[in-house]
Amino acid sequence: MNNFRKISWHHYINYIVIGILTIVLGSIALAGGRFNSSMLFLLEKVAISMILAVSLSLVVGFLGELSLGHAGFMCVGAYLGGKVAALLEPTLGNSPLNFLIALLVGGGVAALCGVIIGMPALRLRGDYLAIVTLAFGEIVKSIFQNTSDETFGGALGLETPRYDKQYLFIFAFILVLITLAVIQNFIRSKHGRAVTAIRDNEIAARASGINVTKYKLLAFTISATFAGVAGVLYSFSNYTVQSAKFGYNYSIEILVMVVLGGMGSINGSIIAAALITFLNTKLATVLTGDLAVLQNLLYALILIVIVIYNNAPSLKSFRDKYNIGTLLSKLVRKKHDPASIKDDKAKWDVVPTKIEMNEVLSIDITPQDKQGYEKKGGDK
Amino acid sequence: MKFTKALALVLCVVLCLGMAACGNVNYAENNTEYVIGVSGPLTGGAGMYGTAVANSAQMAVDEINAAGGLNGVMFKLVALDDMNDATKISTNYSSLYEGGMQVSLGTVTTQPGLEFKNLSADDNVFFLTPSASGDDIPANKNGYQMCFADGNQGKVAAEFVNENFKGKTIGAFYKSDEAYSKGIYDQFKANLDSSITVVETTFTDANATDFSTQIDTLKDCGFIFMPIYYTPASLFMTQAKDVVAKDAVYYGCDGFDGIDNIEGFDITTIPQEITMLSHFNSKATDGLAKEFIDKYVDKYGAETLNQFGASAYDCVYAIYGAMKKAIDDGKDIPVTISASDLCDILMAEFEGGYTLETAVTGENITWESTGYVNKGAIKYVIKEAN
Amino acid sequence: MELILSTLINGLSLGGIYAMIALGYTMVYGIAKMLNFAHGDIIMVGGYVIYVFMALNNPLLAILMAVVFCVILGIIIEKVAYKPLRGASPLAVLITAIGVSYLLQSLAQIIFGSANKMVTVYDFGSVSFLGVNVQVSALVTLAVTVVVMIVLTLFIKCTRIGRAMVAVSEDKGAAQLMGINVNGIITVTFAIGSALAALAGLFYLLKAPSISSTLGAMPGIKAFTAAVIGGIGSIPGAMLGGILLGMVECISYKITAIAPYTDAIEFSILIIILLVRPTGFLGKKRREKV
Repeated sequence: MNNFRKISWHHYINYIVIGILTIVLGSIALAGGRFNSSMLFLLEKVAISMILAVSLSLVVGFLGELSLGHAGFMCVGAYLGGKVAALLEPTLGNSPLNFLIALLVGGGVAALCGVIIGMPALRLRGDYLAIVTLAFGEIVKSIFQNTSDETFGGALGLETPRYDKQYLFIFAFILVLITLAVIQNFIRSKHGRAVTAIRDNEIAARASGINVTKYKLLAFTISATFAGVAGVLYSFSNYTVQSAKFGYNYSIEILVMVVLGGMGSINGSIIAAALITFLNTKLATVLTGDLAVLQNLLYALILIVIVIYNNAPSLKSFRDKYNIGTLLSKLVRKKHDPASIKDDKAKWDVVPTKIEMNEVLSIDITPQDKQGYEKKGGDK
Repeated sequence: MKFTKALALVLCVVLCLGMAACGNVNYAENNTEYVIGVSGPLTGGAGMYGTAVANSAQMAVDEINAAGGLNGVMFKLVALDDMNDATKISTNYSSLYEGGMQVSLGTVTTQPGLEFKNLSADDNVFFLTPSASGDDIPANKNGYQMCFADGNQGKVAAEFVNENFKGKTIGAFYKSDEAYSKGIYDQFKANLDSSITVVETTFTDANATDFSTQIDTLKDCGFIFMPIYYTPASLFMTQAKDVVAKDAVYYGCDGFDGIDNIEGFDITTIPQEITMLSHFNSKATDGLAKEFIDKYVDKYGAETLNQFGASAYDCVYAIYGAMKKAIDDGKDIPVTISASDLCDILMAEFEGGYTLETAVTGENITWESTGYVNKGAIKYVIKEAN
Repeated sequence: MELILSTLINGLSLGGIYAMIALGYTMVYGIAKMLNFAHGDIIMVGGYVIYVFMALNNPLLAILMAVVFCVILGIIIEKVAYKPLRGASPLAVLITAIGVSYLLQSLAQIIFGSANKMVTVYDFGSVSFLGVNVQVSALVTLAVTVVVMIVLTLFIKCTRIGRAMVAVSEDKGAAQLMGINVNGIITVTFAIGSALAALAGLFYLLKAPSISSTLGAMPGIKAFTAAVIGGIGSIPGAMLGGILLGMVECISYKITAIAPYTDAIEFSILIIILLVRPTGFLGKKRREKV
């Protein structure tokens, strides 16, 4: 139990930094200081990306499933939240209350979609969730694109009330903090440990009495909810919601943020989200035309190189020798005290959960290629 | 720890940027020329349009500058690429506006224009778009169109069909999830005579290349209305050339423009007639249109010659003319005038019945207070039936 | 009647292409146990190779080059991107596959630009059949797909490599113990899958003579849907799923009211199948063992 007392301010550094940032910028805005539009747009986009990346990180990094329809859930949130806000605008005006109602509706409907999609897909093992969420994203896009002008605007897109841009970013960052609080506490709770147990070995987790489908669905739904919240935020930061934005490519962009930040690292996702959004915006007027494809090329390389580097069994010794952590500590020449084992930092993947028979056998028979098997009890 | 440190660092940088970016200023106060901004697809599927607009507007600016500018003050054009993607507009708009843009040509295409019109209304920036034809584009009072609005195009097409195909069956092929295509089609349908039966078929995937099902549906139609862009239209025609009757007519709107200049698509292999509704005749043999065509082809080649460019050329002259008129009327337009002040002056001129007497895309062009343009439309046969 | 017949023929020819792609998907999935997201993009690469070699105006040479190029590309992708991850979590492999798919698309766009390229491989013309105008290329597509399916089934049933493939797909460890070169078999699987993708690229060009860097993206996903509907890992299942999906797509496009929702309908079928019968129509149920 002693470890739990050691939870220090380090664990809250992300709240602290984002909180201070919000308070400082917010008080400038409230005191009547005016920011450049480009600055405000950037802040809004960064906040949206952060919420998306943190929520996707829950599914990809902690649950170990791949969702390619994160933008689809965002789309649901954006349209539903935006529609509610547009309907309420005559009575409530463009007020924080209207915003709050839109958030609840958008997030709620996205959560419902998460349950509906997660139910069939999460019962199955393997890559089905990826393909089902991908399909979901396309379905949502095509449904909203073909609605009539009166309901969701159809091809023209839905006109939504845009919240005053001088203040919206404050709400945006408060939402980032709420997202962090919910997801981070979920991960650090009993439920979160169940989720990571499922990621590391589903069969073992099931054998330990964990209700696998329930926890998978829970994590997936939380993630979908916050994607919906990000969508509502998007609808409040734009005049129109056009479903073309929420395609496969956008889902991949969010995935790139999670992968770049390091799967299973919330803070990494936050930084990567801020970095990628910042670069995207700053390079948007430079990387145009045939150069725009360089962005996709970069995304592709990030996905391939980082994932292979982090996961390839044959690179394990190389990784242990030259990872950022050891390089950094060499740089700073900080002494490592082996006694200071921190909680919450356990490397779950190095905990031996089981040894497979064929793995033991293969060592004797083909010593040159002992990695040629699935470690994690795949379909046999 | 390494992450928390990096996090702190990144957020501090953002914070510093935020602090540095305070203030409500006239971004044009250091201008030495009048700056005109435009955002359009310079590349990608609709790249031909943005390129034509940027080239033609630059040509007009060069001409005006060569003739001494406006009372000695030169003009400058800044064109940014949005690849027909509405999500790029907030960035493009703010970098244009904060880069000193005083007046704008808006966007080249409709979908991004829907975002642009509101952003520009917030800052009160005047725009006259050459080709964003959506009905809602000039909804705010700072926005004007040089092209026909979609609804208008659909209406004119319906009038043509009502006259020639009473009691007959015609075909229609459009992209159901695109503002431009659906906007025109809806108005077309609404204004169509009730005696005419329409066989309609649609597509949605922007990358679709195979239209065999749709062609099969439309194969007996002698007249096919196609309010779509040139790339899918050319694919449709290639695949339909043996299926659809040889004397059929493909009737398109301004999206057909440039169909005779697609690489690898030889329009002469299509036996059917291809006709479009336009405000510009790219085979004109006299007048300002002829002059424009000669100059453009000479400078940029014939590949990107289309009505979008012609319209943009007129837009620059219209803005120039309106500013000149305002100065003649005694208004003061210094080179560092803020976008908002210039917008008020230009809106007063356009609402006050400003007329562009001679232009490439028409004569005596005026604007309604709604922002829609008043001028004549041409039914232009790109290729006759073989 | 005419309407039904023409829809049937259109559906069959589109379904034939889907089946061709789904065959490649299902083989790779069945044997390497991974969802090769880049499979659809190999179709696109095949199309571009044909486009390049059609400059020599020799369709047969162009097709041959496309198959050879795609096979080599498939093997390279497997060796460079997927082999290092054998033994890692399925999630890592899946993300890498998406990365490869993105990489192929963006490289194609860098090399060939974003505009569509037009290329006519061979104009088979059309014949009139019971009053319906039928594209001969559609019949060729269907015929080739059926032949390929039969050859593949025979290959797997009757050759040593084919039986080794079945063994690897059943149990990699046991197969290796039996002296089967597991890595070699997986490479062969990728080579066959890529060759099929190259043929699918050819069929697309026969159907619509235009190519862009996103040519394979949507068909790839739909073909995977087809493979799941038919039962992943099953070769006749891929054929059945492909034809079924092609028919659904064509019928849906025929009905004006639902035409805009065609993609949504196809993907909804996938979700429903997974809910009702996760193994697809012809798939085998596998039990998980520890």
